[in-house]
Amino acid sequence: MRELILSDITEMGSGLCVIGMEPACENLFRSVRPIPPRGFAWDRSFPYQRGNGVRFASRQTSAFPPHGEDQNTFGLQASGRCLNELELVSMLQRAEVSAEMEGLFGCELHTDTNGGNAWVDPSQADRSICGCLYRNIRFLVFKDPSRVTLRARLVLISGETLNSLPVVDRVWRRFMDEVVERLAKSQREIDLDRYLNRIIRHKLLQALHGFARVGLARADNGNKCWLMLDSLFPQPDASWLDLL
Amino acid sequence: MSLESDFETALATARTSVASKLSSLPKDDVDLVETGALDSMAWVDTLISIESATGIRDFGNPWPENRPKTIRSLVDMIREAQEPSPEEKPRARAAGRAGSERDITVDGWGYTLGSLAVDAEQIERDMALPLRKIRDGAGIQSVRIAADGEDELALAQRAADIALEVAKVSVERIDFLVATSTTFLGYPSFAASLHSRLLLRETSGALDVGGACAGLIYSLAVAKSLLRTSRQGVALVVAAEVHSRRLDAPLVPGEFRGLFGDGACAFVLTNAATDARDGCVRLQEFVWGCSGTFASSLGIHMSDDSGLNIQFKGEQLAHAAVTEMDRIIGTLENLSAKPRSEVDYFALHQPNPRVVEILAEKASIPLERIPLASKTCGNLGSVTCGASLCQVLDSRRMIRDQSRRPLIFIVAVAPGLLWGGAFLN
Repeated sequence: MRELILSDITEMGSGLCVIGMEPACENLFRSVRPIPPRGFAWDRSFPYQRGNGVRFASRQTSAFPPHGEDQNTFGLQASGRCLNELELVSMLQRAEVSAEMEGLFGCELHTDTNGGNAWVDPSQADRSICGCLYRNIRFLVFKDPSRVTLRARLVLISGETLNSLPVVDRVWRRFMDEVVERLAKSQREIDLDRYLNRIIRHKLLQALHGFARVGLARADNGNKCWLMLDSLFPQPDASWLDLL
Repeated sequence: MSLESDFETALATARTSVASKLSSLPKDDVDLVETGALDSMAWVDTLISIESATGIRDFGNPWPENRPKTIRSLVDMIREAQEPSPEEKPRARAAGRAGSERDITVDGWGYTLGSLAVDAEQIERDMALPLRKIRDGAGIQSVRIAADGEDELALAQRAADIALEVAKVSVERIDFLVATSTTFLGYPSFAASLHSRLLLRETSGALDVGGACAGLIYSLAVAKSLLRTSRQGVALVVAAEVHSRRLDAPLVPGEFRGLFGDGACAFVLTNAATDARDGCVRLQEFVWGCSGTFASSLGIHMSDDSGLNIQFKGEQLAHAAVTEMDRIIGTLENLSAKPRSEVDYFALHQPNPRVVEILAEKASIPLERIPLASKTCGNLGSVTCGASLCQVLDSRRMIRDQSRRPLIFIVAVAPGLLWGGAFLN
């Protein structure tokens, strides 16, 4: 049985995509994306949280570049281990990381429009997940009748910017749902942009363990793998809702 | 432009934006999301793409509940957004007529300093200077220098965040950035690097302005001109200096190096024709020039071994600075039609506090009208007069004195001897 510490739990369509950390060599770790016995995504009722340890028996893998981290499984079992947020970020900093854009996926990033999200050519990328420190962050809120969705802009250590990254981090999306629900209940006119880009942004930039994990979606019809914000640390805290 | 060509342009924009996400273009009335042609992420990217192409802020956000997500709807939304609303039309006409008469106001401001405070005695020891050279000779009690991890960009980001908060303006609204820094020598330039660091819109401009210690005044002048002569509404002006690292070279004399501190300041300027706010000071006239007679009093050059060569004639420079700043104040009196006795505050460049005291005496200005930023921060270069201006504006804000706008003179000199001044009220 192999053991993973779950590091990323992201919402992808109606299911969840999960990544965990596995020891690689000499205090370093690598990302492994456990694939459920059926289909590609885990059910929304997935019982584990970030930082939880899980064990699995591996099956023959169906991994296909750039999602070489995919590992088919027969399912996951709790290992009993549990890392807190600081321990998890410390571990992620010793896994795939890059200070600059080209190092994220080992290839050039492309954009179609000014300020739009970036994509990579799947045949050029050598991985589908990477961590990075950020020097600045801003949020963009999109109000769709069905759901308020969040995008983020990041400045990497190199000074390069990643624009309009869809935030697919399950915890952040739940937090946003909670924010929207609270606002609806209170019937107050709150400037969501101000709340996120002043109050929450300040919390993120003040934190000593600010860290992001950027992932690649599966290739679309145009054979482009779009970037996504898989994990954003610090993770939102329930007490932040009181600042609304 | 005719209605027909408006429609054609909008249609082309919408189709191009959708086509970039798909291998074949669906019909104009097909719901792109319902049919699964685009997922929600690609749909948002389409909206951003149109926003970028048309300059329509927050295009399609929020998307109306009863409107299908079709190319036809995108076209309608583009045309609706581009049509001025009935209440906007008279205002737009008025703004057009007013032309250069529009006021440019300072809506937000902020400054920040290096995190480490070093007192005068420590500087004198570190630089092997005679006892009390910095404290008594220059009048500096302490300087503020950047800690590890603080550079021009980090300080500028902090100052800009404060200024935007005061102005209650989001970064998305910044139309262009004008930035100045003498100590930031790399490329991408300071403005370009700061543009990225602040995550300004990709369609907002970034421009570097030189001028060393007078750089902030020149940057304000450039920003004001751009706001007046373009359709842009909001400018961010930033100055940042980290002398402690740039001047940390063997050939730089201690009595020069010991005077300087690190910091940044930022100002949000808005075109009052579009964003009038009560109680904001207006940026008025500027004066500038260059007196080559004093050019040799201060010179800084990169040496062949990438170090710095400094030519520094302290007394001559102090004399030239005092004389020139007094002259600039005289010119600003004429421009503002107000004698210096009626000026509420002087935000001055401060080579050191002693020079300012001499100037105050020579120019008959009460010292309490000059915020002495350099006393506890050191000479902050282009940031000095900006930090002083921020102190004035902060104090006005704290006492909520909106009864009348203060009259403020801002004056700086720089190697060259480059000089500049402006008045605000």
